[in-house]
Amino acid sequence: MTAFTDVPDVAEFRSQLVAWLDENDLAPPDDHSLDAHHEQHARVLGALYDAGWMRWGWPESAGGLGGPMILRAVVGEEVVGRRLDEPGPYSMIEVLTPTMIDYARPGLAAEMVPRLLSGRETWCQGFSEPGSGSDLASLTTRAEQRGDGWVINGQKVWTSFAQYATRCILLTRTGPGHAGITAFFVDMDSPGIDVRPLRTMHGVDEFCEVYFDDVVVPTDRMLGNPGDGWQLAMDLLPYERSTCFWQRIAYLYSRFDALVGDVKDLGQAADFDMGETYLALHTLRCRSRATQHRLAGGQKLGPDTSIDKVLLSGAEQQLYDTVRNLLPGVVELDDTAWRTEFLYSRAATIYGGTAEVQRNIIARRLLDLGKE
Amino acid sequence: MDAPLDAESLTLLEDGLRKTMLSTSGAELDAALAEMGWADMLSGMPEDAIPLVFRLLGETGSHASVLNDVVQQTADRELGATPALPFAGGGWVVWDYHNVADPALGGLPLHRVDEGGLLRLADARRALGWWLVGSSRAMLTLARRHALDRVQFGRPIAGFQAVRHRLAETLVAIEGAEATLTLPGVDNPDLTALLAKAAAGKAALTAAKNCQQVLGGIGFTAEYDLHHHVKRILVLDGLLGSSRELTKKAGAGLRARGSVPRLAQL
Repeated sequence: MTAFTDVPDVAEFRSQLVAWLDENDLAPPDDHSLDAHHEQHARVLGALYDAGWMRWGWPESAGGLGGPMILRAVVGEEVVGRRLDEPGPYSMIEVLTPTMIDYARPGLAAEMVPRLLSGRETWCQGFSEPGSGSDLASLTTRAEQRGDGWVINGQKVWTSFAQYATRCILLTRTGPGHAGITAFFVDMDSPGIDVRPLRTMHGVDEFCEVYFDDVVVPTDRMLGNPGDGWQLAMDLLPYERSTCFWQRIAYLYSRFDALVGDVKDLGQAADFDMGETYLALHTLRCRSRATQHRLAGGQKLGPDTSIDKVLLSGAEQQLYDTVRNLLPGVVELDDTAWRTEFLYSRAATIYGGTAEVQRNIIARRLLDLGKE
Repeated sequence: MDAPLDAESLTLLEDGLRKTMLSTSGAELDAALAEMGWADMLSGMPEDAIPLVFRLLGETGSHASVLNDVVQQTADRELGATPALPFAGGGWVVWDYHNVADPALGGLPLHRVDEGGLLRLADARRALGWWLVGSSRAMLTLARRHALDRVQFGRPIAGFQAVRHRLAETLVAIEGAEATLTLPGVDNPDLTALLAKAAAGKAALTAAKNCQQVLGGIGFTAEYDLHHHVKRILVLDGLLGSSRELTKKAGAGLRARGSVPRLAQL
């Protein structure tokens, strides 16, 4: 267990975590398969949970140790920034846990959240559908009440890590419009669920199609009440765009460190491109820091986080464009991590709300430009 | 002025400064600021005074030679002098009101000089960053108003996504730059300020390009205010190193160091 008797301050927390990570070797094996990443994820979370680190910043009612959520961002920064866990799997915790704490019955949250935080289980998020991407509220996966349960039929897509998941936070349609969306916490081994990984252009089969064919879910697995699903989806954005972004930024900085090493023979010729990338990453990091301090100060995050999202996707693509520009052939001719990462970065302006949707939100809600 | 001002006093100060800057500019504004206690503000509460005064210069479109004072204070020298300031391209300028016949683009009293000395520029670069952000906000305000008022094809042009996205991009750039300016530069004040000036200059150039486009023909006329701001930010971007030059310098710093400083910490 961590040594703190009281809620630690951020600097003290970080220095003790760093010392602990220096003493406990959690370095990943040299195996870049998705299976290996999944195993490493479980191993790192298990160790961090047992030592208490994974529990800070989460409420005691859900198995946490309390304290401000900024502590979670510190853990994420150190774990992902050191490349102990990959940013994708690690980020799922931040996307899923707050939803459970805010919407599941207290007993269910207390039972389930520790399984996720300790890496004993992986969960997935069933939101997007083939016909509902940017327009998420048009989703059509049906849930119908039958006896003392609900029966689900439909299809989800882009469901990250569904092939490893034991549970799914699933959005379904139970009525018309935004108020007709209802969320469930579904066991992935329920009869009638079929998971098919998608082949993607970067060669990592992280995203899945998930089919639901008369899948029965008990009523006590509903998250919130019927019709709360849209609000649930909106409520998780502040977490996704604060602590979760901070981890991704830490990851991008670690990759930028690597690029500084890879381009050193180019000398001055690389300075402008490297400076531009640094400026984009630094701007993003400053913005994300300010966002987290606002959240910590009790302010409600809203459409302003669309600015963080635009900055993140822009900086990420700029980093990998710079990789390709300064290291000609490395993406095209060499089978290195840069290739996979460059290709994956093409999705940065698409997932988590497209860059266009973010700009629509900024125009409507922040600039008050009225309707289109 | 030793104790930090509370929020209410800061608001009052801001209102007073804004009113003054809207009615005067140049040497007259310098005199008015002196009367309002600028020297005391600068020495007693620089963390509040510099962002406030320089942002308001941008928002109101006025100018004063207060940048000289920031440079002098950093160097522990008497206020009132006109030190040679580096300008983009390796040149030098002074900011003074002599030689009024030949001002810089947009009317700033800047003149080329042959040489200058080494200066610590962190505070001055931050100050200019705030000025650039203020000017950028002024341009965005004009373009937003125009987009809502201007009707074409039977509806306000603010209803067209191409226009909306340009304005959204502008806000993203400004907010990003402002985040770099508000970062406390405790670990590395020089690099923090350099990056902030680079971000603010880049944001201002983005704002000028997008707002000019959204304003269409009216923004190109001398009777409309936009051109003052556009000219102002072109000059301010060059002063103390352009966004382009500073960006390159930041890249050279990474090369020398071999790793990337994480200046922003939680």
